[in-house]
Amino acid sequence: MKYSLTICLTAFALCCFNPMKAQKTFGTRNGQIIFQSPTDLDVKAINNEVSSRLSDNGSLSFSLLIKSFRFKMAEMQDHFNTEYLHSNQYPRGDFKGTIANIKTVNFKMDGNYPVEVTGDLTLHGVTKKVSTKGSVTIKNGKPLANASFPITVKDFGIKAEDVTKKVTITVNCQYQ
Amino acid sequence: MKKWLKFLLMAGGVGLIAGLALLYWIFNKPHRDVSKEKGIQLSAQQLFEAFRKDEAVANGLYLDKAIELSGTVADVSTNQEGQKVVNFSTDDPFFTINCTFKTDPGNLQPGDSIVFKGICTGYIPDASIVINEGVLVK
Repeated sequence: MKYSLTICLTAFALCCFNPMKAQKTFGTRNGQIIFQSPTDLDVKAINNEVSSRLSDNGSLSFSLLIKSFRFKMAEMQDHFNTEYLHSNQYPRGDFKGTIANIKTVNFKMDGNYPVEVTGDLTLHGVTKKVSTKGSVTIKNGKPLANASFPITVKDFGIKAEDVTKKVTITVNCQYQ
Repeated sequence: MKKWLKFLLMAGGVGLIAGLALLYWIFNKPHRDVSKEKGIQLSAQQLFEAFRKDEAVANGLYLDKAIELSGTVADVSTNQEGQKVVNFSTDDPFFTINCTFKTDPGNLQPGDSIVFKGICTGYIPDASIVINEGVLVK
């Protein structure tokens, strides 16, 4: 009896004070990422089928399909896939990173929390380190991630200088 | 008017009209309308198994193609642009076929058996196969 009580008390203490507490992960299969040229507003592509996971330990990932980007102009969409991003050869883009200041985000309290994100962005078969500032907004216990940052297309081996040298990537992901 | 000048003006005019026509075509080329295409008929599970087995082979067969997919609706939602999205179940509880409608399919509920036709844009490991620009067939 005494032995069982000791086990129960030990288990209770471990549950209460275990620093390895279970992490919570939020996900979406329909996040939104926009590629836009800062010099030509017509060069804009929207992807509404971004798969993303955000954990309360700060890990963050995005995966998207290049063919899921939609342009207003069909011809521009064809060029984007066949001449610039070569989406048959490189069908996906990925980001894997962390939110450095995740401890400042209170997932249990509604509010807008500025965050700093660093990670590896893979596009067109090339992986580069990127860092950006953004925000995590908690509403009714569900996070919304927003960020906007520029990339230089040449850095990713994309030969699109005739259209734009830079692309602004805007992230807008509502998690469940 | 000299003959060569007349010819030059005519050639210039034809060139200008052709250039304008090309520009008009570029700016107004219609997007694919999947409702007018014959789709490859598959069940959600068959499509998932094809990608799970060999992504490269499945890409060759289905990427950018019109797919007519039948299956059971796992969930219905609306994306951040207001388009309706359904996920089809597979035998992997963490993997779905993610289908976005171009036109509103009306009232759909989880558990409904439907046929959806759209364009397959690829496979995201451990998450989904994406089909978009879709319409409800039945």
